[in-house]
Amino acid sequence: MEQLVLLLPVIPIISALMTQLLSSSMGRRVSRISVIGGTLTFALASTLLLMVLMDYPVAHYSFGETWGSLYFDPLAVLMSTVIAAISLLVRIYSVRYMAEEYGYGRFFVLLDVMSASLILMVAAADMITLLVAWHLIGVFLYFLLGHETRSFSAFRYGFWTFITYRFGDLPLVLAAAVLFHTFDSWSLPEIFAAIEANPDVTTFFGFRVVEVVGSLIAVSAFARSAQFLVHTWLPYTMEGPTPVSALMHAGIVNAGGILLNRFAPLYLQTDSVLHWVFLVGLITAVIGSILMLAQSDIKKALGYSTMGQMGFMIMECGVGAFSLAIFHLIAHGLFKGTLFLSAGSVINQARKHDGIPKDELYQFIVERRPTRKNFPWLAMAILTIIVPAFVLFSSHFAVTPDLFEKQGAIILLFFGWVTGAQVLFSTYQMETHHPWRLLLLVMTTFVVVVLGYTYISHAFDVFLFPDTAFAHQLYVAAGTDTLLFNLAAISIALLIVATWLRTYWKDSHFVHDVVTRHWARNFYAIVSREFHVSDVYKHLSQWTINLSARTNIWLRWG
Amino acid sequence: MVTLGLSMEWHWLLIGLFFPLFPLSIGFNALLNAAKAPWLKVILLLIWPQIGIALIIQHQATIPEWLQYWGLLSSGLYAFRMLAMREVNIWIGYLATSSWALLWILAFDQLSEHQLQIFAFGFSLPLAIMALISGEIAKRYGAAYTGLYGGLAIANPRLTGVLVVSVFAAIATPIFPTFFAMLHTLVLSQPLPSIWLVMIWGTWSWCAARLLQGLIVGPANLPYPRDLSVGMTWAMSLLLGALAILGLIYTGNLS
Repeated sequence: MEQLVLLLPVIPIISALMTQLLSSSMGRRVSRISVIGGTLTFALASTLLLMVLMDYPVAHYSFGETWGSLYFDPLAVLMSTVIAAISLLVRIYSVRYMAEEYGYGRFFVLLDVMSASLILMVAAADMITLLVAWHLIGVFLYFLLGHETRSFSAFRYGFWTFITYRFGDLPLVLAAAVLFHTFDSWSLPEIFAAIEANPDVTTFFGFRVVEVVGSLIAVSAFARSAQFLVHTWLPYTMEGPTPVSALMHAGIVNAGGILLNRFAPLYLQTDSVLHWVFLVGLITAVIGSILMLAQSDIKKALGYSTMGQMGFMIMECGVGAFSLAIFHLIAHGLFKGTLFLSAGSVINQARKHDGIPKDELYQFIVERRPTRKNFPWLAMAILTIIVPAFVLFSSHFAVTPDLFEKQGAIILLFFGWVTGAQVLFSTYQMETHHPWRLLLLVMTTFVVVVLGYTYISHAFDVFLFPDTAFAHQLYVAAGTDTLLFNLAAISIALLIVATWLRTYWKDSHFVHDVVTRHWARNFYAIVSREFHVSDVYKHLSQWTINLSARTNIWLRWG
Repeated sequence: MVTLGLSMEWHWLLIGLFFPLFPLSIGFNALLNAAKAPWLKVILLLIWPQIGIALIIQHQATIPEWLQYWGLLSSGLYAFRMLAMREVNIWIGYLATSSWALLWILAFDQLSEHQLQIFAFGFSLPLAIMALISGEIAKRYGAAYTGLYGGLAIANPRLTGVLVVSVFAAIATPIFPTFFAMLHTLVLSQPLPSIWLVMIWGTWSWCAARLLQGLIVGPANLPYPRDLSVGMTWAMSLLLGALAILGLIYTGNLS
């Protein structure tokens, strides 16, 4: 019965073949084949998920001897179900959305092969299958983004995506070669067993295999999940059809987190890789959020929002919270997919009437008007700092009593605390006739969100990593020197608290800081050019092409 | 050992014409350009590396290591030169040179004659199909030149479909045999050459995307030239399909 996992990528491939062959005779009705294929895939994935929940043993099955093997494990079936669900919704949405577009049948063929590749990627149990799926996702995405072949800009931005993906694939290819050189196997279960038996095995130049391979895989994950410096493709890929944007932001871009989770047994044995994974994720989360705030185009803002979320997801892996990253990517995928799929009708309604009440909230958020203060600043300052900390730590402590032994968990709680405090800080700045009622509502919402997040993420942890020692060991691998960690955490916390207190005080006493405003303007100028990253790439690629042309002329085109 | 009356070095250089090493590769590219008829290009693309394999088998000597590095450098040079190349036929010649030069690595590690032939054929067949398509484009538009007219996807969808698949098959995209050939070459390489090798692989993709964008994207001018015939489309699609199946079945003993 578990062998049915092999059917998961086969159904969409059959659907793609049938759609291609029958598209001329069936016309627009050909999309039904794709929808039926998607429904069957989703039904099968859900059944397999149910089986895993019923404690069927983890296994892997193969089409061939060397490659073509798929996992039947919690990560594979959970992610297959999510992918099947999202791609089914995208197909149903596209039936009418794409009805007047050129290449209707081709679009559904591409959607089918894309979902087959995605399923193959999340379930791959050997390096060759993983490489095949990883590579094909980039190729199919290129054609999905460039579906409107008359549009130069759609293809130009699709090209950025393709090139980033292709060059991002290469470290994974090298990782596969290093693993094969070392363990003489492509099979992931065999590789993980060999690493567990001998974690200190070395490769070329005496480097530890786990460090080299862990780093290479992380780089591939960064390119796929739009981490800083390889992020430029993401915000500009809005020229593709909306269903593709939804699929990309809800599913494809999450591949980095899935890849890191698949290699969790390898990262368990690393010393320093997770530290810089954390750092890259942190930088991406911060920069993505800053760039999102600076956008006037809502689609680009959504793109940068995804970048920030991907940064947070990678950061979660970097602190050892691998299962939390999966929960995060699923939650993000669902809400971002909804945003994209509803974007068309929202824009349509907004053309008739923007529907935004010009009330106090509008003035505060959109017009950025300073408002009258209704709360005593000292009371709010204390509430801002203490309440989120109390809610977060008590809820997490109830679920995992050994919380303070995990540095990664403390870092994530720290972020939760900053976010919660920022919400309360924003409440402080709002003008309202019922300030304490508003505050109570905000706090209740915060408690509900934190409790939900805590318990659901705990459930994910138990589901994906039932071996608690393994899950704990991941936090240990991501940890650092305790004294250094404590010093850094306390210093940053004090800095943030001091900044908040200063801001409260300044807001209450109407202080205008000319120097800060000057720096802010300069900073905005850099942010508005997106830190010049795209400019640098553009010049570099043009320089390379010019050099190639000069070489051809010099060699007389021979 | 049969040496055709040549010294060892001269024999390797002779093979270097067929597993093209720069500057010997200039000969092959000149020959390909001189062949005006598409069918002649097809024959040349299919036969050329097979002659090299036959010569290696005949020679029966251990290939010197330096030839591998020469092959890698030649392959990198031609991949780099493809970036600015806009004439489709010359582009095909450059990709053929870049990919066949890598066969030195496989030959050095004494892959069987049979495996070498299949990998060389895997590289040649998509290029041969591209050469046919290039001829069809030249017939319709006067020249097969990227960035000149565009809009092929709108005007000639069948022609575009075959062109796109054959380009991706040629640049070692899964599940074509070229992908497994590249994987095999990578596994046999040393660490630094393997980094060079994956850069070549990535550059092929860059070149392919530039080539396709200059041909298929954009609005097309009316009247549209007639598309590839249905029979020809089926024939080429079946060939590419068979190649993909060959890739799935025959992975070149990667285990």
